[in-house]
Amino acid sequence: MLNYRHNRITRLAHWTNALALLILFMSGLQIFNAFPNLHWGSKTEPDEAFFSIYAANEDGEVRGYTRLYGWQFETTGVLGIQNTDMGPFPRAFPSWLTIPGFFWLAGGRRWHFFFAWIFVLNGLLYFAYNLANGHVRKFLLRPKDLAKLLPMLLYYLRLRCVSPQEGEYNPMQKMAYTGVFFLLTPLIILSGLAMSPQLDATFNWLPAIFGGRQSARSFHFILTFLFTFFTFGHIFMVATTGVVNNMRSMVTGWYTDQSVAEPPSSDQEATLEAGGEPAPALAELAGEPPEPEAKKEEHKNETE
Amino acid sequence: MRPNNPVPSRRTFLTAALQGAGLLLLSGCEGLFDRLHQNKKVLSLLESAEAANRFLLRLVSRRGKLAQEFSEADISRYFKANGNPPPLNMDYILNTMMGWPTWRLEVAGLVEQPMQFSLAELQALPARTQITRHDCVEGWSAIAKWKGVPLVEIMKRVQPKPEAKFVVFYCMDTDQDGNYYYESVDLYDAAHPQTILAYEMNGEPVPVDHGAPLRLRVETQLGYKMAKYIHRVDFVASHKEIGQGRGGYWEDRGYEWYAGI
Repeated sequence: MLNYRHNRITRLAHWTNALALLILFMSGLQIFNAFPNLHWGSKTEPDEAFFSIYAANEDGEVRGYTRLYGWQFETTGVLGIQNTDMGPFPRAFPSWLTIPGFFWLAGGRRWHFFFAWIFVLNGLLYFAYNLANGHVRKFLLRPKDLAKLLPMLLYYLRLRCVSPQEGEYNPMQKMAYTGVFFLLTPLIILSGLAMSPQLDATFNWLPAIFGGRQSARSFHFILTFLFTFFTFGHIFMVATTGVVNNMRSMVTGWYTDQSVAEPPSSDQEATLEAGGEPAPALAELAGEPPEPEAKKEEHKNETE
Repeated sequence: MRPNNPVPSRRTFLTAALQGAGLLLLSGCEGLFDRLHQNKKVLSLLESAEAANRFLLRLVSRRGKLAQEFSEADISRYFKANGNPPPLNMDYILNTMMGWPTWRLEVAGLVEQPMQFSLAELQALPARTQITRHDCVEGWSAIAKWKGVPLVEIMKRVQPKPEAKFVVFYCMDTDQDGNYYYESVDLYDAAHPQTILAYEMNGEPVPVDHGAPLRLRVETQLGYKMAKYIHRVDFVASHKEIGQGRGGYWEDRGYEWYAGI
């Protein structure tokens, strides 16, 4: 009974987090559009941007460009210039990637700050819960896991038959989760806060740890894309392992006549696993002690 | 617990529902969020984050802690002059050319001693010089050296009444539709040692583009709080009756009154 309540919280936290990240990402791009340049240091001399998205008029034709240091790419239609019904429109990130869709910095800030609170409070709820029940321990990357990273990668690449996994999470999962929880998340929050003039006045070290307020802004942007990278990786894992596993877990949950204690406990594990990110599928991949059969089946699927 | 506990079915349902919602969201994001943004209730919910920001940031901040001050070498080569074009009236133009002979800073409202200051009188008051970073809400930062009268020096002279809660800055510049720029801060930021009415930028009189003859510096907030072309400062109990009631030109157009982040 208690298990049932808990997995509800975790599942809620997961989807809340997914929504918050999506909105933070899109409203963040809206904010970026107001000044689509990145700088290192404290200030923004126009000729010192290391990254810019811009539009240029060439022989009467407008083109969108993206420049990173010395490399310049034409990105008309996606970055710099968006093709609309009313013709080409200069915009760093296109309207379909920003919140609000129209160009409105104040609106982007409203969404961003509201969902920054949701993201942090929701994360604290999830974390408090999973720290209390000892779950965080299970996906914490430890030094002994480091040696297993390569074997795990080989296993994923079908170059190794036996998974080096012990426990609920495999070494690469541990690395991903530990990295996202204890590196990406604190850094993206800190770099965001380092852009606050009020906090910078109180804590002069805050922008300084990033190398200045503009460096903090650049890190915030780069970390955003590391989050995006993780999210796509996560969705890829869910999609490639999940179609079968997800269905199977749903089907077994629905049809199999299991003992009274089992469905809630496996359910709990699955959602716990999903905690930071979607889909029980990953949990199934990890293979849970209470379900040896499922695990076997799982590995069969993997090697087929 | 019942043997045929409906947990798995609910799980199936919830997962499917959420995944469906996610897909809908992704495909219809643009229109959806825009419609939500135009909904008054949703917008006011989103705006509630401003009060939370102000509460948290002020809670962890120590009153009077100074924003980082930079060296001469850090001063920006380029400092964007944002906002409205300079005031375009004969009075302003003549004053810029003749050294502000008729310009006065009027300080009034809920004060014991309303006062007027000429530029020379302001320059005779105790001054503060600071090389600070200006952070625009757009995202850019520029560093300049500012010299001016700390707002507390003005407050010492006019003596705000206990009911005064905000300081409103009235400006001479207007937008294309003739709306005057104005801004307000509360006494927390007004009393900050680096909050100054600046009449010098980088060792010269504040240039016209940057708000001559007098602009506000509030180093704990974003650039749009730092009103330019100031001619009047009012101490008030509330800013609800001023402009559209949200405490500033940009605030009336959707930006946060509290611009500490």
